[in-house]
Amino acid sequence: MKNKYLVCGIGNPMLKDDRAGIEVAERIERSGLQVDTEIIYGVGFEVNDKIMGYDDVIIIDAAKIGNPPGTITEASVDDIFSDHKLATSHAVTLGSTLKIGYELFPDEMPSCLRILLIEAEDYFEFTRDCSVPVNIAIAEVVRRVTDHFTALQENCC
Amino acid sequence: MKKIEINPMTRLEGHGKIAIFLDDSGNVDEAFFQVVEFRGFEKFLVGMPIEEVPRTVSTICGVCRGVHFTAAMKASDGVYGVQPTRVARKLRELFFNAHYVEDHAVILYALGLPDFVVGPDAPAAERNVVGLINAVGAEIGREVLKKRGYAVKIFEMLGGKPNHPVAAIPGGWSKTLSELEREQIEEWAHELIDLSKLTLKVFGDVILSNPAYMELVTGDMYKVPVNYMGSVDENNMVALYDGTQKVVDVNGNDLYSYNGLEYIDYISERVLPWTYLKMPYQKKIGWKGIVDGDGTSLYSVGPLARFNVADGLSTPLANEEFKTFFNTFGTKPVHNIMGYHWARAIELLHCSENILKLARDPEITSDNARAPLGEVTGEGVGIIEAPRGTLIHHYNTDEKGIVTDANIVVATTHNKGPINLAVRKAAKHFIKDGNVDEGILNHVEMAFRPYDLCLGCATHAVKPGSSPVEINIYDSRNELTRSLKNF
Repeated sequence: MKNKYLVCGIGNPMLKDDRAGIEVAERIERSGLQVDTEIIYGVGFEVNDKIMGYDDVIIIDAAKIGNPPGTITEASVDDIFSDHKLATSHAVTLGSTLKIGYELFPDEMPSCLRILLIEAEDYFEFTRDCSVPVNIAIAEVVRRVTDHFTALQENCC
Repeated sequence: MKKIEINPMTRLEGHGKIAIFLDDSGNVDEAFFQVVEFRGFEKFLVGMPIEEVPRTVSTICGVCRGVHFTAAMKASDGVYGVQPTRVARKLRELFFNAHYVEDHAVILYALGLPDFVVGPDAPAAERNVVGLINAVGAEIGREVLKKRGYAVKIFEMLGGKPNHPVAAIPGGWSKTLSELEREQIEEWAHELIDLSKLTLKVFGDVILSNPAYMELVTGDMYKVPVNYMGSVDENNMVALYDGTQKVVDVNGNDLYSYNGLEYIDYISERVLPWTYLKMPYQKKIGWKGIVDGDGTSLYSVGPLARFNVADGLSTPLANEEFKTFFNTFGTKPVHNIMGYHWARAIELLHCSENILKLARDPEITSDNARAPLGEVTGEGVGIIEAPRGTLIHHYNTDEKGIVTDANIVVATTHNKGPINLAVRKAAKHFIKDGNVDEGILNHVEMAFRPYDLCLGCATHAVKPGSSPVEINIYDSRNELTRSLKNF
């Protein structure tokens, strides 16, 4: 049976700090926390395919916003919704995807969605090792995610 | 001379930019499309067992994960000197066609159709997939996304793991189908055919019935006469998973046909000083510069190119649409690049029909999906027709099958020359006397969208609040006079 809670890591597993979201999802999976986990390579409509049907979802993604590397930013769908034109189908943004999901499938999308963005230092090098500041941020995000769902589960019980 | 830049084109990774140079009168003197491409991925593969490569290359791009996976898998067959069993090939094709449907649907609805459904002159804030859904209605939007989801389910069912395909093995396919799964795929295939018909109807109602849009589709401003390359089967029909690579010239005459490793005798890459991306050309013609028309050595790949090299499509409904396509243009080859969108919509139908056909194949549930491995040959080339065009994966290995060298040529690389020509032509047509506004620049951008660029990308871009686009305008002394940014 599907869990009510989901941790969704987005990124490229081979591309240094771009794998930050994936790293978080993998650590949560290994921790035994009672949540489902998903790893997604892109931010297209497959994100909605994965999160629909869950009550409470946390998405973790790497980003280049201009903050110091390792900064954790919590964003809403509206924060990251890009209403500008798309140059390529590869440029369908996470914000557009989620916005469409909530507009077309409001009853199936999660009632609670948190988006945690980890500022990348380097996303050009092909390696499975994240940079030091991003690694520190990953540990902090894992702690926040664990606390969030642990509190939810305790309140439920 | 004035200089206008659209930079970068929304993605943070592997970004591109268009530079347009105006003369003193404000008309276009020259225009270039440039990209910054990752080149490190091929090195990353060195030292990896060839059987691991398909799973690894599927991460190059979150959108193209299935195509790199498939091309690398075919190359691994070559390295192990083995051909897949008939069942394995059918399972691979089923997987590949499902990926096509998923990908083509997204390209059409997110990229191609908004310019027409919402309108090429509409504000950028509306001219996107959200605006498109607002225009066609939520009900159609829901239908499209729901039905497209069935293609994803088939992709994942066949791939052996959610999101990330793992079923590739040299000479085979590790995920066989149960009868229950086959029945489910057959049911979904009908939905995908409905999706394709709906898409062609939207295309027909919105574009083909609109004289102003048809002027854009058939007009000279988006016409790029070059050679074309694509794969065909033994009946000269479009072949997506496997075939012979065929090249026709500007006038549609057959130039060459080749297979596998022979590609190195037919394709060469020109290094140009102003871009990181090499520009391929037909080697036997020789480098003639960035020019179109008779004698050019540049060539296009992708849906339009596939249509131009082939006699038709092997499925009945799509083949009827293929005939309508060429009857409408009244010529072959078709050089009007807006034809890419239409050809893409017809291929959507073709792949949906293929899925139904394969799902009904009595052999598809057989367990005979793995051939015994041969000796390691040390070299393998996998060529497929990816949704964006011909994709080549070429690997050399040692005697144990460990990769010693890798070369990947993607569709956007093949199309580099034609994209430059398309941008230049559109810029010259639409920018006059220094008049440049957002609508005009969008008409220039519409010249590269049909090719659906894949810029050696990672997987995603996220930037709160904006999609980074910068337009810089320089005066005749190359000094910045105006800068428009949305980030």
